[in-house]
Amino acid sequence: MDAIIQLIHVSKWHDRKAALSDVTIEIDKGEFVLLMGASGAGKSTLLRMLIGEEQPDEGQIFVHGKNVTKIRPSEIPYLRRKVGAVFQNFRLLPKKSVFDNVALPLIVQGASEKDIRRKVTEALRAVAVDHKNDQLPDSLSTGEQQRVCIARAIVNGPVVLLADEPTGNLDPERTREIMELFKLINARGTTVIVATHDPQVLTQVNRRVITLRHGVLLSERRAREGVGA
Amino acid sequence: MRRLFYLLREAWVNMRINRTTTIVAVLTTAFTLACVGIFLLLYVNLRNAAGLLEEDVRVMVYLEDRLPREARQDLERTLKIDPMVAEVLFISKEQALGEFRLQFPSESHLLDGLGENPLPASFVVTLAPNFRSPDVMKEWGERVQTMEGVAKVDYNQEWISLLARLIGYIELAAIGVGVLLSAAAVTIIGNTIRLALLARWEEIEILRAIGATRTFIRIPYFLEGAMLGACGSALSLVILKCAFELFRQQIQLTSRFSGIEDMMSFFPLPMCVALVLAGMGLGFAGSVVSLLRIGEGRT
Repeated sequence: MDAIIQLIHVSKWHDRKAALSDVTIEIDKGEFVLLMGASGAGKSTLLRMLIGEEQPDEGQIFVHGKNVTKIRPSEIPYLRRKVGAVFQNFRLLPKKSVFDNVALPLIVQGASEKDIRRKVTEALRAVAVDHKNDQLPDSLSTGEQQRVCIARAIVNGPVVLLADEPTGNLDPERTREIMELFKLINARGTTVIVATHDPQVLTQVNRRVITLRHGVLLSERRAREGVGA
Repeated sequence: MRRLFYLLREAWVNMRINRTTTIVAVLTTAFTLACVGIFLLLYVNLRNAAGLLEEDVRVMVYLEDRLPREARQDLERTLKIDPMVAEVLFISKEQALGEFRLQFPSESHLLDGLGENPLPASFVVTLAPNFRSPDVMKEWGERVQTMEGVAKVDYNQEWISLLARLIGYIELAAIGVGVLLSAAAVTIIGNTIRLALLARWEEIEILRAIGATRTFIRIPYFLEGAMLGACGSALSLVILKCAFELFRQQIQLTSRFSGIEDMMSFFPLPMCVALVLAGMGLGFAGSVVSLLRIGEGRT
């Protein structure tokens, strides 16, 4: 398999405290990876580095063949178009409709009107909120808001989907639904990395698990064949 | 198309969200630019007046008394073939006296006591349009003064030089005040854009996270600055036009400076358009300053 993400001896310090310490990880194309660890373990730092929001103090990071540690600032937006991101607090624009929120990455890329309509409709249908097209995010439930956020992240067909605590604000039932959605997106060929501290997610997803503690790679567990989905 | 529509809409939304700040910015920019406009209007009108006066400038070439007819005709021919001269008109002693009596009827009795007509014959010379500047006129006058039969060359040199100097000073003042107040307008608009940026910081973060380029994020704020500048500039023209008409009306009412109101003119349309564009440029500059200062450029 081809590695789509590579972290090679990556270290990062925040105020003299190690956020990540000598982490080496390789994630293949089409993999589904759970990034586990308590709050402050370094999960979010790792995800932020993958989209060029932070730079490591040591080591190198490759995303889709691009060395993120040597990337020019002007190239970062184009990297982010290949890597969709889902956030715990959804980060939707409250004054724009669901449709407009999801259309935003396509508008940014200068997609045609026809493409925007088609792709947004497909993405909203994929996350089952296509009937809430014209509503404002605040009128939706938290589960629906997270679905809209996922739709926005996948609308332009990213090669990797990153989710930082995507179920942090959801109840167990909504958590299960969202994880099913990630599995579906992964089944279509997108590499999915979900960072979470919720051990309940482990029971729902039988995939590769990378555990971090205090910035150190604690353990790695491959998916058990024949168990779970 | 949708991208363009999005960017324009974002600029409009920015202005609507910060409605009070936007209105205050447009008003303060308008009054600031109106102050610059007063100097500019004064300058333009004085330039027009100077142009009209230059057109109207005639040089009086007074002839020596008892100049023989042939000598006068020779002089007239010499003046007429001069490339700097557009027109030569002879005024005889009698005609000069007649004009004096016509213009100053109450004082005409003064001349009666003198017996002989004391007024000299003269040529009224109109110089060609290209030779009406004070320096050229002075040079021409000095040359004619040396010609045979010429008693004196007279023109309003001092008055023309004074006007030229005055225009120079006003030009300097307009530039000085213009630069200072334009900087003020840039700062006002820059601060408005800064407030808009801070109000929409989270939105900017989201745009960056989904792969928007710096240019894409900045364009609505550039547009907003340009729109504020254009609105401020257009409003300043409206204020100036009202003040100008009021001033002209007052002059007409007092009828003290009859004729001056016809010489006064507001900015011509192309200049109004240029001023709105200049305002737009100032607003754009304000946005650039603000975006650079606030460091939106971080990735």
